[in-house]
Amino acid sequence: MTDPVYATLLDLAAGALLVSAVLIVWMRGLTAIIRTLALQGAALAAIPVISGVRQGDSALIAVGVALLMLRAVILPWLLARAVGAEREGRRDAEASINATASLLIAGGLTVAALVVAQPLVALSPTAATNAAPAGIALILIAIFAMVIRRHAVGQAAGFLALDNGIAATALLLTAGVPLLVELGASLDILFAVLVFGVLTERLRRMFGDTDVSRLRELRD
Amino acid sequence: MTATLVDGAADVPVVTRPGPVGPFVSGISTTVIGALGVAVGLAGVLGSVRSLRIGWLLPMAGVQLDIDRLGGFFIALTGAVAVVVGIYSIGYARHERWSLTTQAMLPLFVGAMLLVPAAGTTTTFLLGWELMALTSLVLILSGHRRAEVRSAAVYYAVMTQIGFALVLLALMILASAAGTDRFSGIAGLHSGVRNIVFVLTVLGFGSKSGLLPLHAWLPRAHPEAPSPVSALMSAAMVNLGVYGLIRIDVQLLGPGPRWWGAVLLAIGAVSALYGVLQASVAPDLKRLLGYSTIENMGLTSLALGTAMLLAASGLRAVATVAMAAALFHLVAHAAFKGLGFMAAGSVLLATGERDIDLLGGLARRMPYTTVLFGIAALGASGLPVGAGFVSEWLLVQSLIHVHAHPGIVVGVVAPLGVGAVALTTGLGVAAMVKAFGFSFLARPRSTAAQLAHESPVSMLAGMAAAAFGCLVVGVAPCVARPVLQATLSSLPAFDGAELSGLGAFLRLPGIDASMSPGLLAVAAGLACLLVLLLSRWGARHRPAPVDAPLWACGADELTSRMQYTASSFAQPLQHVFDNVLRPDVGVEVTHLEESRYHIGRIAYRASVADALERRIYTPALRAVDAGAQAVRRVHTGSVQLYLAFGALGVLIVLVVSR
Amino acid sequence: MTAVSVLAGVTQIGAVVVGSPLVVGLMRQIRAKSEGRCGAGILQPWRDLRKQLRKQQVTPLGTTLVFAAAPIVVAASALLIAAIAPLVAICSPLDSVADLFAVVGVLFIGTVALTLAGIDSGTSFGGMGSSREITIAALVEPTIMLSVFALSVPAGSANLGAIVSLTVRDPHSVVSLAGVMALVALVIVVIAETGRLPVDNPATHLELTMVHEAMVLEYAGPRLALVEWAAGMRLTVLLALLANLFVPWGVAGAQSGLAAVGIGLAAISIKVGALAALLAVAELFLAKVRLFRIPELLVGSFLLALLAVTAANFLAVQG
Repeated sequence: MTDPVYATLLDLAAGALLVSAVLIVWMRGLTAIIRTLALQGAALAAIPVISGVRQGDSALIAVGVALLMLRAVILPWLLARAVGAEREGRRDAEASINATASLLIAGGLTVAALVVAQPLVALSPTAATNAAPAGIALILIAIFAMVIRRHAVGQAAGFLALDNGIAATALLLTAGVPLLVELGASLDILFAVLVFGVLTERLRRMFGDTDVSRLRELRD
Repeated sequence: MTATLVDGAADVPVVTRPGPVGPFVSGISTTVIGALGVAVGLAGVLGSVRSLRIGWLLPMAGVQLDIDRLGGFFIALTGAVAVVVGIYSIGYARHERWSLTTQAMLPLFVGAMLLVPAAGTTTTFLLGWELMALTSLVLILSGHRRAEVRSAAVYYAVMTQIGFALVLLALMILASAAGTDRFSGIAGLHSGVRNIVFVLTVLGFGSKSGLLPLHAWLPRAHPEAPSPVSALMSAAMVNLGVYGLIRIDVQLLGPGPRWWGAVLLAIGAVSALYGVLQASVAPDLKRLLGYSTIENMGLTSLALGTAMLLAASGLRAVATVAMAAALFHLVAHAAFKGLGFMAAGSVLLATGERDIDLLGGLARRMPYTTVLFGIAALGASGLPVGAGFVSEWLLVQSLIHVHAHPGIVVGVVAPLGVGAVALTTGLGVAAMVKAFGFSFLARPRSTAAQLAHESPVSMLAGMAAAAFGCLVVGVAPCVARPVLQATLSSLPAFDGAELSGLGAFLRLPGIDASMSPGLLAVAAGLACLLVLLLSRWGARHRPAPVDAPLWACGADELTSRMQYTASSFAQPLQHVFDNVLRPDVGVEVTHLEESRYHIGRIAYRASVADALERRIYTPALRAVDAGAQAVRRVHTGSVQLYLAFGALGVLIVLVVSR
Repeated sequence: MTAVSVLAGVTQIGAVVVGSPLVVGLMRQIRAKSEGRCGAGILQPWRDLRKQLRKQQVTPLGTTLVFAAAPIVVAASALLIAAIAPLVAICSPLDSVADLFAVVGVLFIGTVALTLAGIDSGTSFGGMGSSREITIAALVEPTIMLSVFALSVPAGSANLGAIVSLTVRDPHSVVSLAGVMALVALVIVVIAETGRLPVDNPATHLELTMVHEAMVLEYAGPRLALVEWAAGMRLTVLLALLANLFVPWGVAGAQSGLAAVGIGLAAISIKVGALAALLAVAELFLAKVRLFRIPELLVGSFLLALLAVTAANFLAVQG
């Protein structure tokens, strides 16, 4: 794989991460959001695979495949099960602010991430580190999405995107994450999503819907 | 014998009605002063510095006039506007029956405006500034019988004085730090002083130019002033705010740090967006034009800020283009805004209405005014072939060529700047389409519009001259090249500017870009001819053309009430920008007497007040009021206490000036 | 202005004039066949034009010269862009007269002309269509300008000939992240400017859903023919420009002869046909969105364009 092709592929993967982040903030339907998450997981998994092919490192490629299975297949499927248990009409993830304002804020966060990441990129400018601002932008946008979503599964989607962003930044900035570390982090995520699923079920049983702001009623 | 009570003698002016000579003299003297200004200004730009000192006019300081290249540019610009407005005001003053005071003030106002760029010392500058404010205030008050005019005049007076106070403070600090009050002697100042002077001048001169946040006087004063005065204020007076910024912050204080340019750019972008948004929902024709002035001054400030930012970042060739864009935009704006206000005055004269929702169908009754306002609207919208396109093109070209070595600040700011300019252009087109389409096209929406008549010849002549200026600026901008080059060379960051590429084709120095507005216009004309030829295909099979009434959806005929109004036209935009504009919307539903299920009448009321006024000015005024109330507690009424305060003051002055 | 550029210009204008009804016909035929209908054939728009041009010219009472002149201005603006853009050859005759920003302005003039005509007709439908159209046009401006900015960064210039010749020499400049994002943003722009689904439905006459059709409701006979022709020309020119900005394969160089111009013409015809077919198929799966959800779509495209520009400025491709 030649240098320009490698750089272009990494750029495209980073761009897919960014665009999927914006789409998660923008979209309303939960099933669409979960499909976007699957796409994001695939884009994330593409990064170690591309680097692995470039360097001829089979461990990296294995990490990529593991990430693909976990973040593009298993975790979205778990979330989809939680959504599927809802009634047909409640599969909407409302946000606290309107779409235009949330898109503009997401744009501002991206610009902020680019500015913040400049010193990091300047330390060692390679093709991989040049794409790192996309990972940081994904982190910021995912936190923003968690803040504005009112549906529990919507927040879980934001949480998954956040972890995707952290993993992307780690993979781009460092030479690659050891398989053990990656597995450990993924196991954490798996447990977190399972907990989310249980929480959603409990919320539905207690309140009838999964609006997270109802949790405020648990106060004395 | 029947006795009839004659009501409404209030419209008859109480002052002695002047004869036809007065308006003629006032208009001609304004024109002559303007022509003198153009001659002197051009001589100053293309020649050398001329000085004049009149020692006895002001005690202690004297009046010092230094006409250098920068000042000459603004003198020529102001003079050109005055020439055109002078001719226009002959007919306008005669029809509107101006009082002697107003007629006398007009040439004085122009003279004061010409004095400001010619000033060579800070005292002369401030003298000209205050004269300009006073004369314009008197001119605004010429309609003082109406309450809105009085309230607008109060706003104008107060905000002008606030601006003057800030400018006074800035110039005093400047003069005292430099040790001399002569502009040519100011150099090499400490950076703390420069920063303070910069902030004060941005607020003070920005207020005169209509930049946010001290802009609220503009949309109130410009509509209420008589139309020639509005034209002068919008096309000439607001330029002097930019003149102050360029003179002090670019020339005298020298090349500043990057945050100066960034601040000007940000203020300019916000002013432009806010101004154009308010213009697109404004129901009053002259208020729309006033907000459009805020928008254009915002764009000029954006260009100025870009130039300063790029010069400080080392991209000098690109910065020169941005500075040329700023200066050229001033020229273009003077042309199309002056024409716009004069045409609006013509409409006001003919119909007595400023509300666009009550106009319409004027194209058949006032064809010349329609064409002239169309030229002004084309210029104001920034579309190709219009007067405003070239300066916008220059500005955008300077913003997109920063990729050589951007740096973070410039790399983030440039796309946002392009986005701001683009949105401003888009909304500006919407505002101008509304103003032109609903005032002049379709059918009249009120009796006043039905009875309109064309303006007198002097008004048409003045407007035609301004339209000629618009056309020259839009199609052959190369005529301004020598003037622009000379002006730019007098500014420290941009000397050595090489604008020789601006001929029939606009080729920019150091940038790969090429455009020719004149040839584009010719090509557009040829394309129209080609289309006309194409449409002749099959013409011999056509029966004779015919006129027919429009389908009225089954009613007898279309009434004027069935037409769209300007407010309905702007409603989608108002809805989209709801959070920014915060309109007061009220819907009143009246049910029928007989049944609550049937509706007799629905009334929809919407008014858009200046949101910034409500958010910023009202709390500020309330704070000042509260402070004043607190201070009142000190006024106990005891004479000894007041004497003690006086003594304390004297003591402090003695100690400080030791 | 060399001989090649003049030849190319004449070819471009001729191709747009002749081919735009065919493009519209192709899109309608694809839609018809997918809906299980026979369809009227690709040549139907030509037959419609011929029929309308032979009808009587009816001018509504109460309209002014603006109403009569607007179709001419719209069509002229489309032809002007056809003469500026490098569709068949890189060196169009008007390439140094106007760059991409001027092209955007000329497009806007066409929109403004029709908007004023809608206001001039003095009916509620006309005003309603104009109001909606101007809202969309105003909000799509930032996206267009930023996309142009993103496209001009690799070439260092906004002149169309420079951009296309750079892409011919070095295809990597458009396969980058900035190029892909700019492409998506420009596709949304083309949809908004030409009034296709999901922004506007070109086949509807329902009051709630009309935008472009409402403005031209009062046109009949020869003027309606011009309006429809102009709409088709706008669509064709914009699709051709989009194709050549990103896939300039086949475009004739600056020193070519007659044969190369012929190849260029064939190439652009194929590309425009393919894009039109893609657009028609995509429209089958889309519904028109509410007017007040269009700003969301446009803000999203603005964001994409902004990201494209920042990517072009910051994420330089190494190696």
